[in-house]
Amino acid sequence: MAIKGMNCLAAGVVALGLGITAVQADELYTPNMTYRTGPFAATGIPIMNGQRDYIEMLNARDGGIGGIKINFDECETSYNTNKGMECYEKTKGNAIVTQPWSTGITLQVLPRTNVDRVPILATGYGFSPMSDGDTFAWAFNPPVSYWDGASMILQYISDGDLDNLKGKKIALLHLDHPFGKEPIPLIEKLADKHGFEFLPIPVGLKEMQNQSAQWLQIRRERPDFVIMWGWGAMNAGALTEAVKTRYPMDKLVGVWWSGSDDDLRPLGGKAKGYKSISWNAPGKYSVIEDIRSHVVAKGNSMIGSEDDLNKVFYQRGVVMSMFMAEAIRTAQQKFKIAKITPEQMRWGIENLKLDGKRLEELGMLGMVAPFSMSCDNHTGHGGAWMLEWNGEQFAKVSDLLMPDRSEIEPIEKEKAKEYAKNNAPWPGRDGLACE
Amino acid sequence: METLYQIFADPFVQIVSAPDFFLQVLWEGLVSGVLYALIALGFVLIFKSSRIFNFAQGIMVVFAALTLVGLHENGVPAWLAVPLTLGVMYLLALSVERVVLRPLVGQPDIILFMASIGVTMFLIGFGEFVFGGENKAMITAELGIPTGSIEFFPFGGFVLIEQKDLTAVIMAVLLVLCLLLFLNKTAMGRAIRALGDDHQAALSVGISLSKIWVLVWFIAGVIALATGIVWGARAGVSFALEVIAYKALPVLMLGGLESVSGAIIGGIAIGLLEKIFEIYWGQPLFGGNTETWFAFILALIVLLFRPQGLFGERIIERV
Repeated sequence: MAIKGMNCLAAGVVALGLGITAVQADELYTPNMTYRTGPFAATGIPIMNGQRDYIEMLNARDGGIGGIKINFDECETSYNTNKGMECYEKTKGNAIVTQPWSTGITLQVLPRTNVDRVPILATGYGFSPMSDGDTFAWAFNPPVSYWDGASMILQYISDGDLDNLKGKKIALLHLDHPFGKEPIPLIEKLADKHGFEFLPIPVGLKEMQNQSAQWLQIRRERPDFVIMWGWGAMNAGALTEAVKTRYPMDKLVGVWWSGSDDDLRPLGGKAKGYKSISWNAPGKYSVIEDIRSHVVAKGNSMIGSEDDLNKVFYQRGVVMSMFMAEAIRTAQQKFKIAKITPEQMRWGIENLKLDGKRLEELGMLGMVAPFSMSCDNHTGHGGAWMLEWNGEQFAKVSDLLMPDRSEIEPIEKEKAKEYAKNNAPWPGRDGLACE
Repeated sequence: METLYQIFADPFVQIVSAPDFFLQVLWEGLVSGVLYALIALGFVLIFKSSRIFNFAQGIMVVFAALTLVGLHENGVPAWLAVPLTLGVMYLLALSVERVVLRPLVGQPDIILFMASIGVTMFLIGFGEFVFGGENKAMITAELGIPTGSIEFFPFGGFVLIEQKDLTAVIMAVLLVLCLLLFLNKTAMGRAIRALGDDHQAALSVGISLSKIWVLVWFIAGVIALATGIVWGARAGVSFALEVIAYKALPVLMLGGLESVSGAIIGGIAIGLLEKIFEIYWGQPLFGGNTETWFAFILALIVLLFRPQGLFGERIIERV
């Protein structure tokens, strides 16, 4: 008995050492590289709760997807690229898809997924040229890329015509990290073309909570608009400084990761008028009620209170998991098999089509804009809305905004080509048929 | 030629043409400097008494601030939450001495340093387990810290001073004065200094190592709470606060690991100089974000000439 126990212990220790993840034969393994700890936890937690709860709801309500349960395993990275790589290596063996959850980790994982043949699903983040499916066969970033986001923000603040920005000064307050630097090449190009001055203002990881130098620069330079590309503690720090320096809130516009209710609530009415672009519209949806009854009511959610269900970031997490679930369903229907392979999952994401009818069936009509993916379009470019903080919560203040693809596509192709050249031999589609 | 102008002329032209803005830069630098000094003080106190470079000082700031906010969230009034948090920090000091330090007495410094990394890991995990990782608002108003601002209009411009920043500076000055009085005018304070000077000699005259260690870690906990309150009031309380501890490293290099006055002067000097450099040289010449490295370069230059820092004691060892 004692020897048996020792054997079990030894096996456990070996398994832990090798980082083996327990996966059942009758389930689909979809790891998620979360950050519920560290400097970015405050913004990560609500999204990861939404992602997790949607899958929990599918498992509880429908018995999974296509009759097979989903093993939604979380691997903690603290938003650290090295830990993210460890998570990827640990989980890739059984995974049908990987969600790297940071632009830095995505960039590291990108070349490896070609070899490992595991699709990357980077919803609303990652390297914008991943949209070019001919170059990045295994990577997907629906429903909009960062360059789409920058284009939509610029269109919004210019009333639909970027030439209106001529002679104006646009500052980009961004995290000094691959994520924060992502929109710079596109905005630089648009600034040259449309004659506005572009002023990037980086915020270091150690300066996130003390941005007085950055906001002194904003006070000195007096930009007409400040676009914020922040994440984690940077958002709360920037908004606090904006209130302090009395920068007009209606001239401050954030990317979708700078629009968390939790960052704005401590400021309340002082931040009224602040805007953030978002590819999910917060509201009351039947899918949230399903989560409430199948997951929250049964004590299987990690949310702090039911109020969290209404937050923009929580609902975004729900939408993210829906993309993954619908890609699985698409692949299952095509290959007529429940337990799909990573290759089949790749096909499922590439052929994901979300129209109004399907969104209505899912109880998510209006929550995200309809979009379709294809072989040469790995983003979907579904569009987004502008949200405004009214002192208590975010509310939609625009119609659906669409990126100006004619401005973005040439630079997307150019940068994709450049990436492939710098990482030669880059396989491209490597014989993967477009069907 | 343009670069030379940007280095040698333009910053001074800007200072003269917008003196109100320069005053604002000085104020922001002073506030940052005082806050850096507060963090550095926690490191100095523990190093002085036990030769431990306390890696856990940053997470102690987070832990103290989260305890305060967490108690208040659970219905404890602010006036009671502060002493209760101090009680928790005392228990932490007691536990660290009993569980971590006492078994390691006489071990090399690097072992004690590694032990403080262990304390950091424990506090991160325990803190996240108890309080969660979400950003929490500091109970600024409940603690009686004013949240408005004062405006001056010198030289036809304006200077804006946040009342909570002013409170932070006053609080830090009072804390430092109390600490200096305690270290210099009380028996316990002298005992801490004696331990810092020579462990063996201090022990031989009956100074209790364990009592002093508990006391010093508790004082570091008090400083951590004060730091957590003033930093938390600026941008909320979350585990991101831990990162600010790294800002204390160049302060310690500059001021010396053993000097209280070195921590204060080093902190204020770095706060002021890095802000002035960032605004007038860093942003035009390097595109900004020089605060991440400027203080380290400055400390490195000082170390080249004074390896013990500006105020550290010269180490002379027999060989």
